[in-house]
Amino acid sequence: MSDSHHAPAMHMGLPISRAKLGMWLFLGTEIMFFTAFIGTYIVLYFGSVDATGKSAWPTDTHVTHLNIAAGGINTFVLLASSYFVVVAHESMSKRDFAKARKFLIFTFILACVFLGIKSFEYYGKFTHDILPGHIPETDTQAIGKMERQVESRFHKRLDSVVPDIAITDVDGDNKPDRAMPTDQSMIYYQKAAALPQLIESAEGSRKADYEALLALNGQVGVLREQISGNKLTFVEAEESLHEMVEDEHYGSILSGLHMSTPILYGNLFASVYFLMTGFHAIHVIVGMILFGTVLAQGDKLSERWSNWVENSGLYWHFVDLVWIFLFPLLYIIPGNI
Amino acid sequence: MDHAHDESHPHVNYFFIFLLLCGCTALSVIFDVVKITPALVVFAVLAVAVAKASLVMTFFMHLKYEGRWKYVILLPTAILGVGLMVALSPDMAMHYYEYDVMQSRIVAPRSEHGAGHDAEESAEHDGEAKDAKHH
Repeated sequence: MSDSHHAPAMHMGLPISRAKLGMWLFLGTEIMFFTAFIGTYIVLYFGSVDATGKSAWPTDTHVTHLNIAAGGINTFVLLASSYFVVVAHESMSKRDFAKARKFLIFTFILACVFLGIKSFEYYGKFTHDILPGHIPETDTQAIGKMERQVESRFHKRLDSVVPDIAITDVDGDNKPDRAMPTDQSMIYYQKAAALPQLIESAEGSRKADYEALLALNGQVGVLREQISGNKLTFVEAEESLHEMVEDEHYGSILSGLHMSTPILYGNLFASVYFLMTGFHAIHVIVGMILFGTVLAQGDKLSERWSNWVENSGLYWHFVDLVWIFLFPLLYIIPGNI
Repeated sequence: MDHAHDESHPHVNYFFIFLLLCGCTALSVIFDVVKITPALVVFAVLAVAVAKASLVMTFFMHLKYEGRWKYVILLPTAILGVGLMVALSPDMAMHYYEYDVMQSRIVAPRSEHGAGHDAEESAEHDGEAKDAKHH
């Protein structure tokens, strides 16, 4: 610094550290990143109209399985974690590194709590199959989904119970005489066709398995016919499925199946929900890595890390900001507009 | 430089700010529970969100104590963010053309208290759904 007349060159640009400028520029791009999602959501919300011309965006929490309490608690959790980051940074400035570490541990724990509650919410979505592309939007689609689920259970069971040899062995010497069909549906068809013969030669529980499959095969055929003839209403399909699940012979193969409630625009809702909350959760994980790196220093935490804590803090507050907007927009406002 | 140093370590009662933020969160939940007109709920809840965001940016992110460069970074990005929404609106929200997708031919069941299908609506729904299938 002896060449003081060269000094101005060193002070070009902004009166903040390069790291901080970098973080703020990054946050600028992040603002656009998240407003793109949030803006698209808002626009889609109003654009998703039904025959009445009004928005038919799914808002009923009974069908969307949005948990307002979980969202509210998560808001509090993130606010508290933001508070701990800011006091951690303050402690770093005061060179009280032990205290800073303690506060950062709190932040890290709260981030884990946030993700825990988020996973609980996601778990609810997965168990109710509120996933993009999985949601029937009309009664017809709900009936179609039920048919596919029943068939899939039937085929799985058919594959595990009926051995391949049952359809490749023609002369009954238990040796394959012909190749397996290349078409999967043909395999299921032939395996189902082999059932009456298998029942004759089988005994005990094996025989009961085959008989259950044969009974279910007949029922699936009836169901297919009714659905292709467009003869089933949603309520009838629901009753029919209920009877099949309760059936004493093959009910166990279909256990747990139930009709999905049709949700108009449900797939769009699920896409938008997972896009927004998913990217937010990824940001939370990145924040945890940033704080984890500081915590990994243990007792060696020193002034060198002050900038790191400040910039991770800025990033963390931004993650908090995003949630501050996501919470009302996703959880509270739908249904009130 | 002393002055600048002071500015980078302002004395803010962070805990008080945190309490304010918690109060705001409680407020938005209360707005949701208390029976006021839906439009008012939306306005109130968004106002609270903006207030919370301002508190976080002003004090937690120390923007109150930063130079004017903050506007150079934040204003263009914020304007572009809002601009995107405005740009998308005519196509996706307002549908200046005739909007014809499967969902727009159906009347969605609208019920105030949850899952219960209204019988009349449900019948209409079924009919529409079958129509939609034939397309």
